[in-house]
Amino acid sequence: MKYSFYPGCSMEATAQANLKSTEAVAHALDLQLEEIPDWNCCGATVASGVVGDFTQQVMTGRNLAIAEPKGQDVVTGCSSCYLSLARTNKRFKEDEHFKAMANEALAAGGYQYNGTLRVRQFLEVVISDVGFERITKRIKRSLKGLKVAGYVGCQTVRAIPYEFDDPEYPVMFDRLIESMGAEATAFPMRTRCCGSSHALAGTDIVVDSIHRLFDSAAQGGAQVIVTPCPMCQMNLDAYQQRVNQLRGTNFNMPILFFTQLMAIAFDLPTDAWALKYNIVSPYAALAPYGVR
Amino acid sequence: MEQTNKLPEKVKYDLKFAREIYSLENGSYIKQCMQCGMCAISCATRDIMDYSPRRLFNLIKLGKKDEVMQANTFWYCTSCCTCLVRCPRGVPLVDVMHDLKKYALDNGYGDYPQAAFYKAFWAEVAGRGKSFEGGITARYFLFRGLDEVLKYMALRDVGINMLKHRRLPLLPPKKVKDLGNLKKIIRKARELSGKEAR
Ligand code: SF4
Ligand code: SF4
Repeated sequence: MKYSFYPGCSMEATAQANLKSTEAVAHALDLQLEEIPDWNCCGATVASGVVGDFTQQVMTGRNLAIAEPKGQDVVTGCSSCYLSLARTNKRFKEDEHFKAMANEALAAGGYQYNGTLRVRQFLEVVISDVGFERITKRIKRSLKGLKVAGYVGCQTVRAIPYEFDDPEYPVMFDRLIESMGAEATAFPMRTRCCGSSHALAGTDIVVDSIHRLFDSAAQGGAQVIVTPCPMCQMNLDAYQQRVNQLRGTNFNMPILFFTQLMAIAFDLPTDAWALKYNIVSPYAALAPYGVR
Repeated sequence: MEQTNKLPEKVKYDLKFAREIYSLENGSYIKQCMQCGMCAISCATRDIMDYSPRRLFNLIKLGKKDEVMQANTFWYCTSCCTCLVRCPRGVPLVDVMHDLKKYALDNGYGDYPQAAFYKAFWAEVAGRGKSFEGGITARYFLFRGLDEVLKYMALRDVGINMLKHRRLPLLPPKKVKDLGNLKKIIRKARELSGKEAR
């Protein structure tokens, strides 16, 4: 199956592990991701605060306009991009006045978007289009006994509520973990915020948020946390040591993109695991499964 | 008894402010708020907010411009969307928070570090069409000054770890090729939304 792929800025920088593992996993599952040519930033959750929702959504709409002629679903591996793209798309579909005005602005650069596409998060594509059964069949390396906390995060299930799972008690991510042969642990905080874009301007917010998350995941007995979101991955990975310093804790919890865990379970080449980008080393937790 | 008849001296009702906020892109949704408090108990950063979203909306209705604009509430919102999916009146709180940030920046209430981050982020996106962590960080410190740089020395481990694991490219990504047209689109969009707002 073919998709129009929107990598987003983070995949080129802080979340290269996401890009590498997503591409490899997609390939292994016969999903063709065709990058949207000359895409621009979606504005994340930040641009609207400076230029307003309309301007950000128009800017985001340019990407959809470029992708539209192909008619393929737009897929992104970033929850923040997903939020921007999916909510913008929804407005183009449902709000005629917005659509007319947005197209007036897009026309200034020679673009137009008619709102005919579907926007999807890669996690949802894996779950809905591939399905748990096919994933289980593809497993080449047993992860039996590995205790995994599925950190869904906030935006993936809440950008468009009920689009593919319950926004309060999502269950699909845990089922995906189990279809990979690992054990999904109890993790009541699975949709709680990681502090998102406050890493620079509000470090305390991030430290406080992720401290609670580590507590919750550790109480469930997790050995690793997996997530679909680059922001969650970065905050939990990069600021973990800081939490330990400030709070006197001793967390040593590897944070993997779910696609990294899939690449391992599928026994794809080590390049696809992209583990060198992980700050908290995952090797001790994964050594019993032959990961080194 | 006596007290309740008197207004505290400093209270200045400024209904012009309320009307101004209602006229923002998502401002009129504030009128839908029924003060149930669901957003307040849901919010990820409520503990450190000056006012919960609910209380902030009430202050807007009362026209308390300075209290509202000087509050950290909308800057501390993390866009986690919890309130958004729970609000029984369908107030899109995240979008309202965006409006309040924009209004604050446009009206000279930009003292929070988050405001500097937002401006830095936008400057990168507007100039290149893509965001670049390094550029955002540099601009952020430029806006915030030397004191902030020193404060961040405590965080140098975080930065070093990111560098070591190749998470911080030193060079920016390539500019969007069609940047000229993207800029035209953005200019037009800003012009249109300015018109629409009033
Ligand atoms: S949840 Fe909605 S209706 Fe309730 S207080 Fe918050 S904004 Fe108002
Ligand atoms: S979106 Fe913002 S206001 Fe709403 S719950 Fe999350 S942090 Fe609080």
